[in-house]
Amino acid sequence: MAAYIIRRLLGMIPTLFVITVIVFLLMHAMPGNAFEALVFNPKIKNAAEVYKRLVAENGLNQSLPVQYIHWINNLIHGNLGISSSLNMPVSEAIGTYLPNTLILAITAEIIILVISLPIGLYQANKVNGKLDVSTSFVAIFLYSIPGFVFALVLIFLFSFLEKWLPSSGTVTPGIATSGSLGDRLTHLILPALSLALPSMAYYTRLTRSNTLSVIVADFVRTARAKGLRRPRVMFRHVLRNAIIPIVTQFGFDIGGLFGGAVLIEQIFTWPGMGELSFNATINRDYPLILGTTLLFAVMVLIGNLIADILLAISDPRVRYD
Amino acid sequence: MSEPLLKVSNLKTYFISKYRTVKAVDGVDFEVQKGKVLGIVGESGSGKSMTSLSIMGLIPPPYGKIVEGEIRFEGVDLSKLSEKKMNDVRGNRISMIFQEPMSALNPVLKIGEQIDEVLIRHKRLSKSEARRKSIQLLQSVGFPRAEQIVNEYPHQLSGGMRQRAMIAMAMACEPSILIADEPTTALDVTIQAQVLDLMRDLKEHTGTAIVLITHDLGVVADMADDMIVMYGGQVVESGTADDIFNTPLHPYTNALMESIPVIDEERERLTAIPGTVPSAANFPQGCRFAERCAIAQASCHEKMPELRELQPGHLVRCDLA
Ligand SMILES: Nc1ncnc2c1ncn2[C@@H]1O[C@H](COP(=O)(O)OP(=O)(O)OP(=O)(O)O)[C@@H](O)[C@H]1O
Ligand SMILES: [Mg+2]
Repeated sequence: MAAYIIRRLLGMIPTLFVITVIVFLLMHAMPGNAFEALVFNPKIKNAAEVYKRLVAENGLNQSLPVQYIHWINNLIHGNLGISSSLNMPVSEAIGTYLPNTLILAITAEIIILVISLPIGLYQANKVNGKLDVSTSFVAIFLYSIPGFVFALVLIFLFSFLEKWLPSSGTVTPGIATSGSLGDRLTHLILPALSLALPSMAYYTRLTRSNTLSVIVADFVRTARAKGLRRPRVMFRHVLRNAIIPIVTQFGFDIGGLFGGAVLIEQIFTWPGMGELSFNATINRDYPLILGTTLLFAVMVLIGNLIADILLAISDPRVRYD
Repeated sequence: MSEPLLKVSNLKTYFISKYRTVKAVDGVDFEVQKGKVLGIVGESGSGKSMTSLSIMGLIPPPYGKIVEGEIRFEGVDLSKLSEKKMNDVRGNRISMIFQEPMSALNPVLKIGEQIDEVLIRHKRLSKSEARRKSIQLLQSVGFPRAEQIVNEYPHQLSGGMRQRAMIAMAMACEPSILIADEPTTALDVTIQAQVLDLMRDLKEHTGTAIVLITHDLGVVADMADDMIVMYGGQVVESGTADDIFNTPLHPYTNALMESIPVIDEERERLTAIPGTVPSAANFPQGCRFAERCAIAQASCHEKMPELRELQPGHLVRCDLA
C-alpha cells in the first residue's frame, strides 16, 4: 500500500509539470502585469523608472523560458517566490488561507455524506413511494441549480430577511465571543451549505440508484435466503456494495469542491484559497497565481489518489498494481 | 407412507401488473419426504425457480405474489407466515442454493463472514464459536485448508469451490430441506459430479431432504427418489423417479427423455423438442403442451386435462395417457 501511494505520488509530477507550463503561458498571455498600474499613478514622480526597476527585480524582463526555469528551480528548492501584491512569501500566504478552505470543504463534505446517504438509502427502500418521488424531485431541482445561486438565496433568507446567520467572514470582529467555536460555526454554516447543496442532490441520486441496482443482486437474495433480518441485509450486504462507487466519486470530487469554493468564498468574503487565487489573478501576481494553481492541481490529483485508495479499501477485488 | 415433510398444494404464484398477469406457477402440487431427494425437471420458463422461491417466501416484489395455495411445513402454512417468522425458517429449517455461485456470494465479504452470520443469526453463536463452526463446515464440504478459506473472498475461489462454500453455508444450521436450484448448471462437468456427490453424502449424513431443480434428466436419474415434471407452470407428471424413468406417461416427459443426448460408438443424437414453451402471460385454454405434442387431438386444445393418478403414486396430466 505505502509503495503504491509513493509510486502514485511520483506519477503526479509529469502531470503537474504540464499544468504549470500551461498556466505559466496563459498567465503571461493576460494583458498587463503586477506593476503596470504604477505607471499611471500620478503620486509617483519617477514612475517609469520605478516600474523598470521592479520589472527587472522580479525578472519579468527575461524571456518566458528563462522565467519558467527560474520558477521551477526555486520550486525544487521549496521556494514558491514572493507575492507581489501581498508582499509576503507565497507559501506563507497559502499557509494562512488554505486552512480556511479546508475547513469549508471538509464541512461541506460531511454535510453531503451525512444527509445524502440516508436519504438515498431511504428512497431506494421505498422506491416510487410518495417520499421517494417528492425527494427525488427536490434533488433533481437542487442539482440543476448552481451553488452560487444557493449562496444568494441562503443569504437572502437567513442573513437578510431573518438575521440568524452572518453572511461574511469567518468571525465576528469586535465582540467578546469573537473567534469562539460557536462564532466560527455560525459563520461556517451558510458557505458550507451553499457549497454542499448541489453535491448533496447529486449524492442522493447516486446513493439511490446504486442501492437500487444492488438490491436486485443475487447475493442479496442469498442474504435473505439465509434468514437475515432486513436491517442487516440492507447495511451489511446492500449498502456495503452500493457505497463502493460513492466513495470513489467522493474522492474525485475533493478537487472539484476546492474549485467550487472559489466562487462561494467570493460571495461570503471567506478568506480562503478562492479569494487568494482570485485576487492573485486580478493583481497579475504571477508567483501567487502559479502557487495557488499548483495547489489546486495537487488537490485534484490527491483527490483522485484518495478515490483509488478508497476503492481499493472498499472493494477487495481491486488490487494495487 | 408417513407424513410428508413439505406439502405444496395448489400453489399459484403470479406476477400481476396493470398490463398483464404472468402465471409463473399455476396450481402446483407435490410433496417432499423426509430425507429424500425430489427432482424437479422442466424446460426453461416452466416455473421451477418460482416454485422454489415461493417456498422460501422470496418471490421478487412488487409484482410477484402467491395468490393461492398452501405450503405446509412442520405443521404451518409457510405462505401465510409473517416475514418475521419466515425469517426464522429461512436458512435455518429450509435453505437454498442457487445456480450462479459467483453472483450468489457477496463479493466484498469474506467466505467466513458469510457463513458465520447464518450461525450467529439462527444458532445464537458468538463470533468465535461461529468461526470455529464455519471452519468445520468448510472441512465437511471438502476444503482441506478451511482455516485459510474463511479469510478469502469469493473471487479468490473457483466456481466449484464457491458452490461448495454455498452448500456449507446452506447446511450450517442442519436444515430439514435444502432447495438446490440448478446447483451444477454453471459448473464444469467434472466439478458437477463432485458437487452432486457432496450433496448426496451430506444428505446421507444429516438426513436433510433435497429439492433438486435441474434441466438434466441424467442428474435426476442419478440422485432423485421422487420427481415431478413441470411444464407451463404446472406439474404434468409426478411419481417416483424409477416409475417415471421406466414408464413415462406424459408425452412431454417422453419427449424430454428422448432429448437426452445419447452418445454411442457412432453417433451423437440430440432431439430437441420442436416448438417453444407457451408464454406464461398468455396460456392456451386447453393442454399447455398440446401445440408441441406429437399425439395431440382436437380435444386437447379445448379442455385442460386434470392431474390423474394412473398407477399408485404415479400421476399424469394427460387425457390420452
Ligand atoms: N420478475 C418477474 N416478472 C414477471 N415474470 C417473471 C418474473 N420472474 C419470472 N417470471 C416468469 O415466470 C415464469 C417461470 O419462471 P422460472 O424462473 O420459475 O422458470 P424456470 O423453470 O426456473 O426456468 P429456468 O430453467 O430458465 O431457470 C417464466 O415465464 C418467467 O418469464
Ligand atoms: Mg430457474
